[in-house]
Amino acid sequence: MDIVLMKLALAAYAIAALALLAYFFTRQPALRAFGAPLAVLGCAAQFAQLIARFEITGIWPLLNLYGSLSLFAAVAVLIFIIFAIRYDLWFAGGFVIAIAALFLAYATTWNEGTMPAVPSLQSYWAKIHVPLVVSSYGAFLVSFVLAGLYLVRYYVERSLAKTAALATAGGHASVAATGGWLASFPSLPQLDVLTYRAVAVGLPLLTLGIITGAMWAHEAWGAYWQWDPKETAAMSSWIAYAIYMHLHTRNAWRGMASAWICFASFFVVLFTYLGVNIFIHAGLHAYQR
Amino acid sequence: MEARLSGLRDLYEDFVRTFGNVLFAVCLFLVWGVLTLLGVVVEQGLEPSAYFDAYAAPVARAIVRLGFDNIYHSYWYVGIIGLILLSLTVCTFKRVIPARLPPLRPVRIDKIPLNASIAIPGTVADVRAKVDAFFRKRGWQVRERTFDGAEWIFADRFNWARRGVLIAHLGFVIIAAGATIYWARGFAGEAAIVTGQTFEIPRTHALVRLDGFGYKIQPIATKSGMVYQPIDYVSHVTVTGNDGVAKHETIRVNQPIDIDGTLYYQASYGFAMRFDVTHDGARVGSLSDRTLMEGEALEIPGTQKSVQYARFVPTVDRVTGQPGPDPRVNDPAVVLNVFNGDAQVGAALVPLQTWIDLGGGWRIVPHTYLMYTGLQYRYDPGATLVGVGAFVLLAGLVIAFYFLPARLYVRVDEGADGTATVGVAATTVKGYDIYEKQFGELTKALEGNAWTSS
Repeated sequence: MDIVLMKLALAAYAIAALALLAYFFTRQPALRAFGAPLAVLGCAAQFAQLIARFEITGIWPLLNLYGSLSLFAAVAVLIFIIFAIRYDLWFAGGFVIAIAALFLAYATTWNEGTMPAVPSLQSYWAKIHVPLVVSSYGAFLVSFVLAGLYLVRYYVERSLAKTAALATAGGHASVAATGGWLASFPSLPQLDVLTYRAVAVGLPLLTLGIITGAMWAHEAWGAYWQWDPKETAAMSSWIAYAIYMHLHTRNAWRGMASAWICFASFFVVLFTYLGVNIFIHAGLHAYQR
Repeated sequence: MEARLSGLRDLYEDFVRTFGNVLFAVCLFLVWGVLTLLGVVVEQGLEPSAYFDAYAAPVARAIVRLGFDNIYHSYWYVGIIGLILLSLTVCTFKRVIPARLPPLRPVRIDKIPLNASIAIPGTVADVRAKVDAFFRKRGWQVRERTFDGAEWIFADRFNWARRGVLIAHLGFVIIAAGATIYWARGFAGEAAIVTGQTFEIPRTHALVRLDGFGYKIQPIATKSGMVYQPIDYVSHVTVTGNDGVAKHETIRVNQPIDIDGTLYYQASYGFAMRFDVTHDGARVGSLSDRTLMEGEALEIPGTQKSVQYARFVPTVDRVTGQPGPDPRVNDPAVVLNVFNGDAQVGAALVPLQTWIDLGGGWRIVPHTYLMYTGLQYRYDPGATLVGVGAFVLLAGLVIAFYFLPARLYVRVDEGADGTATVGVAATTVKGYDIYEKQFGELTKALEGNAWTSS
């Protein structure tokens, strides 16, 4: 049952991503009308899959990379859907959902079947800490895409402005100041605000995730902070987004510079989430592999 | 004297200017983040030789000499955190408090990006009263002031939320205070206790006796093959605390026990060994009565030789004769390393009850294994404060991110044809773009409401 739901989610995401990517370039409302419900369907199927897995196995499904990556994709899409409905962001959906689908596909390679939890994971904290941290990563994925779109718009606008200036200086026919599809983007300040809002969802979640992780560590390992690679990398992610938030308070740094920082910070998140588990085998979180 | 004071004042001002600069704080954050990540990438706490094995010599030398092998406890890493706390404190007093609680003062409305000018019929006094009522009705805190004969209305929303950043910074300070209390008064340690053995905690003199240790491992067939999944580790102990009363307790992973404020945790387990050592067929009691933990060695008397008990192998694969993957004790053996002086001269996998000949009439037989439990203990009087600080930090972040303090500057002037002109400008702590939509809706509502009610 859960495998069927997983496949349904993957298929729905794949088609939704294609439709919304096409919508990004063409702005045909029909594509949005087709892609948006599929994104919702995929997200619902994913949550249903996680619940079904829990019901079938009786084991909390987020204790391995398969389950947590699955939740990561589901939460990223859920947060995106909320943003899309509230701020009319469907044009960015193709990117978020495509990335979520890739992570979900990757998650399936970690499915080893049903395994009971190791003793250190047999705690109610697993039901609090893991969803919080993974949800924060989902919000950061949305902010990553929005920051990326900000940078695309910024550099395309700048390039078009240069071309227009050259054309005017050379006495050629005027060049349109903005590209056709670019004009239907939110403005740079709007994209900046949306990116900020997505980080403002992720950072408190990550903070709470780190706090609950520390409380769990205090209960399980005897210290709330052990400088374990995973928790230390999570702190690096927190620092990266704290830098973003601090710079965002400065007028001179708000915009392109802060978008770059937000964009780059997601790679710290990726390192924390996957890099530590895959490339750095030591540490108290190594059981998550 | 005056010149010296002036120099000190300049130094103080330079200090405040530098440490009160957000970009300086961001640079410190950046250095902190990079160093922290470096500590993730470079495995911490290894022997220097391990770094020379893992990295090119120049890199390994840099790791060892610059302290990157124990980065989080290096004086300069702690120093960076200290600088961040200093910067945070200076920023709080010089930047956060003054900027977040700005004084009421007149502004050039048309110079503020979010501004509007609305013509409303009525006298200046009537319109001012209407505007005042309009904002009060919507939950704005309205204050009126006169500057150089001109009357201003200041409307604030979520003014209390201006303290969000302050609260977040305060959270950091509380966390730092909690961590400092642990450094000053706390302690922690680890003890490996063999069944039947009693361990005394050095600071508290509490006694912990291991009555028995058990573990449960479940073999599970996965898509990648057989996995031996640990399910439970449990230590049955007798603990004697300050009251002198011996109590039977059970310690599991995630279920520590609390004795007189010190917490005891299930951390690890292992197998201790007893060996029968014989010389020319006679049992050597001084060596045979010892219980060895993994890594410990027996010195062979009258020789340069020593035998190290390297590790316990619970199951030897019957086909290959090599250590098997099953961590349950089926066909146990031990790995023994033999040294002559400092040089290792051999290693062998020796099943229990079999022997190896060390030469010179010496033989060693792995005889009996005893399970030991690894218990961690920790007394942390600052933990509660750290927890409080963490939630204060979180509360500060939520306030700072989810409540947008805005201030409206409103001035009502005489207009044409029996109207009054209402000039409105808005500022927020997060710039103008974030409030553009709400400002548009607000001024639209003000215009509609004032006309309707007139």
